[in-house]
Order: sequence, then structure tokens, then C-alpha cells
Amino acid sequence: MTTEPMEPVEEKPPRKAQRSLASRLVFVAAVWSTVALALAGVFLVGLYQRASERGFDALLEVHVKALISEMLDTEADPDDPAAAFPIKPPSYQEDPRFSLPLSGWYWTVRRADSPDVLFASQSLVGDPLNVPDIADRDKRADFITGPAGDEVRVLQQRIFIEDTPYIIAIACATAGFWTEIREFARMVAVTLCIAGAGLILAIFLQVRVGLRPLARLRASLTAVRQGQADRIDEDLPAEIVPLAAELNALILSNREIVERARTHVGNLAHGLKTPLSVISNEARASSGPLADKVADQAAIMSTQIQHHLERARMAAQRRVIGVSCDTEPVLDRLIRAMEKIYRDKGIVCGFNHVAPVRFRGESQDLEEMTGNLIDNAYKWAASRVAVTVAPFDDPASNREMLTITVEDDGPGLTPEQRAEAVKRGRRLDETVPGTGLGLSIVADLAALYGGRLELGPSDLGGLRARLTLPALGRS
Amino acid sequence: MRILVVEDDTDLNRQLVTALEEAGYVVDSAADGEDGHFLGDTEPYDAVVLDLGLPSLDGLSVLENWRRDGRTMPVLILTARDRWSDKVAGIDAGADDYVAKPFHMEEVLARVRALVRRAAGHASNELTCGPVRLDLRAGRVTVDGTPVKLTSHEYRLLSYLLHHQGKVISRTELTEHLYDQDFDRDSNTVEVFVGRLRKKIGSDLIETVRGLGYRLGAAGDD
Repeated sequence: MTTEPMEPVEEKPPRKAQRSLASRLVFVAAVWSTVALALAGVFLVGLYQRASERGFDALLEVHVKALISEMLDTEADPDDPAAAFPIKPPSYQEDPRFSLPLSGWYWTVRRADSPDVLFASQSLVGDPLNVPDIADRDKRADFITGPAGDEVRVLQQRIFIEDTPYIIAIACATAGFWTEIREFARMVAVTLCIAGAGLILAIFLQVRVGLRPLARLRASLTAVRQGQADRIDEDLPAEIVPLAAELNALILSNREIVERARTHVGNLAHGLKTPLSVISNEARASSGPLADKVADQAAIMSTQIQHHLERARMAAQRRVIGVSCDTEPVLDRLIRAMEKIYRDKGIVCGFNHVAPVRFRGESQDLEEMTGNLIDNAYKWAASRVAVTVAPFDDPASNREMLTITVEDDGPGLTPEQRAEAVKRGRRLDETVPGTGLGLSIVADLAALYGGRLELGPSDLGGLRARLTLPALGRS
Repeated sequence: MRILVVEDDTDLNRQLVTALEEAGYVVDSAADGEDGHFLGDTEPYDAVVLDLGLPSLDGLSVLENWRRDGRTMPVLILTARDRWSDKVAGIDAGADDYVAKPFHMEEVLARVRALVRRAAGHASNELTCGPVRLDLRAGRVTVDGTPVKLTSHEYRLLSYLLHHQGKVISRTELTEHLYDQDFDRDSNTVEVFVGRLRKKIGSDLIETVRGLGYRLGAAGDD
């Protein structure tokens, strides 16, 4: 008999999860909001600065106009040769700071074609006012360093008197200008920070509320996987209803495939085993070497068919999406059936259910495993069988497990026989009907669920079979 | 003892009927669920061998219908679907035992024998009444330890009376359980066989209860 290894269904360690959807959404929205608010702040401060500069320049322009009007001698006698000079030296002191030395408030007048200053305010006390070249523009405003080393705003304007171009420069100290700009920027920053924090909080709340249906979907899927629900609840927002519907269709399709596979296996069993019974019985009823050969071969075929049908059933089982079943009714039914089948033996069966517990798997598989164990116990027991179910937490796998212990007061097995019994296709005693696959099938099925079958001596005097299987919570 | 075999496979049906007849039973057979259900519902059988995979009406439904209608004869189910869930479903539906296919005929015979014996309330495979001893496994009858040769009809008659010893069995009941459904029930062959049996095992063991029927041994005497 070929024996291909069965892979147990083990829970893989969870892969490190990517960053959550919620943190992605909050992160992207927060970064975008911060950048947008910072840009808005820079823009606002820029606007405020330009508005302040325009205010400065308007003030300087007033002084320029006043200076020009003082320079033009409108009352000069046209016949006076001295009056032919079109401008008179201004003593412009509209603001007293123009006369205070190095006050930060200055003015100069020069011809456009010469760097020499014709007239200057008293505040310059002979120092030059180093203004940038106006070139061919009519007006220019700049921040420059004044003669006292402090920053001043200077406005230069080109004027024409008697077709002669003159450049008038008026400067005023900027002390306080930048302080105001900085104060404004600080207030804008504080305001925008508060707005940003509020915005991020709103985004966080929006994401939390918005993604809540996904959490519900996940809980629903977990319930299905653990066998607590048949299908995913489709009472969800329109965007994820199709996903839930598709998942439900997948679950249904999975169950149908498994059911179909089981039906096929059942039909195959029926289709093969009935003619095999006929051949076998016909051969046994006849005599001669041919009949003996046919009987022998039919027995081998029977074992092979049994083995491969079991494998096919197990293959079907492996595809089923999480189901679970209560252990108590399954064992109750089995014990009731055994009592009926073995009623002649008058066996007393003690069923001890330590705590209610669900088996994390198909009830048919639980029935198959425990059915074989209890059947063996009844078959061999002298008068007593004990079945005990107990849940426990397995520290090795960090999973909830359950044990089903079946004991009898029959002859039991030696350690060598026990080791042999769980190997596939072994039959220890040909005098008791059976295919010899009972215990090995139990061991295979248990392994498939990540559990195990252990055989040992029982306190009752016979065999103790302990089945360890995954459990689902304490129901 | 009268047995009903419900099995759709012609060859297996024939093998079961032959084996049971050779073991001393009167056997009726049906090849589908509906016929089987009808026979089980209308004829008194001492046991039924019922295949679960039947055409027209599956074995489990046949069995459930019988039990619902109050039919209590012991039923042995034959099943190729031998998972415990299938077996337990059969037992839950009212079956008394199961045999998984492929099976050896000896196993079916042993199970049928046990069911019939159990239904009549006997624990042993040896039935005795006074000097008469019937070994059900070997199909052998002895009187005071001396083997007695019986015809198949005589054997069935003695077996039925021994299974139900102490009870008054009517002639109709005997006819129903000793002959198949095609037998002419108005004939008086039962009296003929009772007479022959009395000669072979002793005339005082089978008592004629006037107007009611026959009784083997005293009431309560096993």
C-alpha cells in the first residue's frame, strides 16, 4: 500500500501587517493639510508684507510731492537772472525727523545724469545716502542700509523740471516694520496650527466612522471562519455590500464543492462496494483455486478502496471554510448508537463532559474519529467504557484545544501494538470484524486538524485513546 | 422465521436470499424502496435486511416510515456509505444494527440471527425447551442430546415456537412467519407439520390451545 504523507492544517504565523488603512488615510490627509496650511501661511504673510510696503511707499510719496512743491519756486521774478534757475534749494522739514541727525529719515535731490547730490536733508549730516541705480525707471522703492547702519525704505522718483530730469530720493526708517510682519506671521502660524489640529482631528474621526463598516465586515468574517455564523452579514454600506456578497458566494461555493465531493465519494463507495460484496460472497460460496484467488484479490481491493475513499474524503474536508460543532450532542448520539449496537454485551458507558466545548471542524469528522474510538472500546470492553471531554489551553501553540479520552476495561494493547495500531492499514486482531483502518484514520484525521491521537494504558485496565483536537472557545 | 431483504443490486439480493434461505429462514425480497416499504408495512417479518442506497425511496426514508407507522421488526441496514455519521443516522432512524459493504455473508447471517433472537427476548444462541435444544448458529436440533433430523419447514416451525415459547401462536401467525407471501394461507399444512414435529421431538411439548393456536412449553418456561 502506498502511503503519501498528509499535511496537517496548521495555523501559519500571521505575516507582519502593512500599515492600517486608517493610519494611511490619516497620515496622507495630515501631510497634505499641513503642507497646504503652511503654504497658505506663507502666502498670507507675503500679502501682509506687500500691503505694509505699499503703505510705506504711499507715505514716502506724500513726502516726495511735498518736497517737489517746495523745490519749485513759483513766486520767482521771471526777469531775475538768478530766478532762471528752475529750482530752489528746499529746506524740507515737514517731519522734524528730517532735521535730526541720522534719524533714519532722509531725502536727497540730484540730477538724473549725475551722481552728485544737489540738495540733501539736514539729517544726513553730510553723509551719502547710497541708493541703488533707478536706471530708466520713473520710480523705484527698496530697502537699503542707511548712513547710520540701520535699514531704511527708500523711494526714488524721477521728475522733469524744464526738461531736466531730477531724481528725488526719500528714505524713512523701517524700525518696527519687520517686527509687525513677524508678529503677524506668528499670529497666522498659531491660527493655522489650531486650524490644522482641528482638521486632523476631524479627519481622524471621519476615518474612524467611515471605516467602521470594514471592522464589522472583519468581525462577521471571523465569525464565519470560526463557525459561529453561516454567512457574512450584508447589512453594510453600498460600497462594500458587493464584497460581502462575493465572499458569501465564495463560502457557499466552497461548501457546495465539499458537499459535491462527499456525494461523489459516497456514490463511488456505493458503486464499488456493492459489486465487491457480490464478487467476494460468490467466491467464498464456491470452491477451487480460482474462487480462492478471487476471494483473496477481492479482499485486497476492498482494503484499497476503503483506504483511497478515506483519502478522498479527507481531501474534500481540507477545503471547507471554518465550521465548528458542539461536542456533546455528537458524542451523545454516538454513545446511544453504540448502546443499541452492542446491547447484548451489557456495557456501562460513563460520559463525562467536564465543560461545554466546541470542536473547530466538521461534525462528520468528529463523528468519524470518536465513532471509531468508541466503537473499538465497545468492541473490546468487558463491561465498562468511559468517555471524557475536557477543554484546555495549549501553551505550545497558544490555541484552545480539547481532549476526548475513550477508555475501556478490555484486554488493552502492549506498547508495541499501540505504536503499530496508529499506522495505516494495520489490523491487530483478525477475529473481530473491521477493516483495520479505524485507528489510523483517526490519527490521520486528527493530524489534518493539527491534533493528535495517543494510545496508552487505561486505569480501567484496557486501552486509553486520547484524541487532542482544536477547540473553539468555551461555549 | 420470515425475513425481508430490500436490496436493489440483483446479484447481491439473490445472494442474500439464498444465504438466508439456506440458514433456515423464509425470505421475501424487494428491489426498490417503494416495494420494500409496502412489504414491510403489510407483512409480518421477524427481521429486515435493508440496503440504504435504494432507488425510488431511499432506505433511510423506508425505515423512518416503518417506525412512524409503528412497525417494530428488527432492521439490519446494509450501507456502502460507512462513515459514522451515516451509521448513526441509520441507527437514529430506527435501525437495530448495521453492516458495512463489502461484507461477508456469515456476518450478515450472524447479525440477523442476533436480531431475531434479541427481538424474542433471548440472550443465547441456544434455545431450549425441556429436552429439546436448538443451536441457532449450527442450525442443529437435539432431543436429550440426540441429534434430530428435521426438514426445513419443520425446522422453521420449531425455531419460531422456541423463539416464542410460552406464548399462544395462532395458525395464521405461524403461516405468516413460516411461508413467503405467495403461499396459500388457507391450506392446512401447518397442522401437518405440527403433527410431524410432535412425532420427532415428543408429543407433549407442543400444546394445542383450542380455538387459539399452539403453545410450546409452559408460559414463562424458557
